[in-house]
Amino acid sequence: MAKHDPEFEHEHIAIPGYLLVFGVLVVGTVLTYVVALQDLDFIFPGANTLVALLIAFTKMACVMLFFMHVRWSPRLIWLAVVASFFWLAIMFSYTMQDYLTRASGVFTQ
Amino acid sequence: MSSHGSDKFVYHEPGLQHQFSDMGQQEESVSIGMWLFLAQEIMFFGGLFTAYLVFRSKYPMAFAAGSNKLDAFLGGTNTLVLIVSSLTMALTVYFAQKGNRHLQIIFILLTMLFGATFLGIKAFEYHDKYVEGIVPVQGWNRREKAPAGERVEQKPCWQHERGEEEQYVNPKGEFVWTDCSLVKLAQDENFLTTAEKSGYFQNGEISADKFRDKVRIFFYLYFVMTGLHALHMIVGLVLMTWLLWTAFKGYYNADYFMPVEMSGLYWHFVDIVWIFLFPLLYLLGRHFMHGH
Repeated sequence: MAKHDPEFEHEHIAIPGYLLVFGVLVVGTVLTYVVALQDLDFIFPGANTLVALLIAFTKMACVMLFFMHVRWSPRLIWLAVVASFFWLAIMFSYTMQDYLTRASGVFTQ
Repeated sequence: MSSHGSDKFVYHEPGLQHQFSDMGQQEESVSIGMWLFLAQEIMFFGGLFTAYLVFRSKYPMAFAAGSNKLDAFLGGTNTLVLIVSSLTMALTVYFAQKGNRHLQIIFILLTMLFGATFLGIKAFEYHDKYVEGIVPVQGWNRREKAPAGERVEQKPCWQHERGEEEQYVNPKGEFVWTDCSLVKLAQDENFLTTAEKSGYFQNGEISADKFRDKVRIFFYLYFVMTGLHALHMIVGLVLMTWLLWTAFKGYYNADYFMPVEMSGLYWHFVDIVWIFLFPLLYLLGRHFMHGH
């Protein structure tokens, strides 16, 4: 029999597990839609966007961990995943720290 | 000497490429390569998300107005279609791991079906934008001459009523935008940004033309982001066609299925991009329609 690296165990979550993840994704989609129709600005301006992004990040985490098998992947893969988001965060934050300090952004009104 | 060494039988797994010492090493090498490719794809789309972030933080009302014009129902349907295709893709990989060629082929076909459905709905939406005159390129919209002899009544853009049918006049196929009621709302409730206070107004009055130009930025981003995403879907479908062919020929078995798993990673990545595009493009301004 093939001697797989134990870190690459291929059983994963089988069909019930995949269906569960699928269910979470569908609920997340419906929830995003419903929440987007409510005005949450009474909490703080832009609360709608924050909630939408929180749901999107949760859905992304589900897809990556289970459908893309990151959950069972070796450390090297985790490193690649985390590093790519780290670079993305650098791009966002360095761009915005420039734009938002030019006295014409949303936080300077 | 040790010439017997070359005659000695060495167990070699059928799916092992000669440059790797064992299956584990091969799988890890292939995976890290794919993930590095996906990392650069994240940065690729990330550039567009950065542009979105910059312009939305400057002109939130123009983005909200543009977003409300998109069909959130179709966008939501497409989200569900992609999620279903992600499930069928995950099952494709699962059955490839089990060495079940028959179900593997069925689920590849289902994945392709849902991918094609997504692109069909997208094409329908793009056509809608053409009909409504909101493709942000001059000449790429439906042309309609003004009726002869009749003067089209002009009223201030901020008195636009929601759901109001307006005569479509667009002889040159330009980007048209006549509704700036959201600017009025934000002005009355005092939440215009500094950029908006100068960006939408001319001589103290709301300028329909200046507002239209900001809304056009939203539609530029909408078309480039969804267009690039659709291009990825098309590449995904080509990949699936190849996968279908090789699965049909019986290339994969329980010991060797890395191409199936790697194609799956790509497909799920494209799904993830849409998971963010849907709320950021289709839903961002909906609450203004209900709360006010």
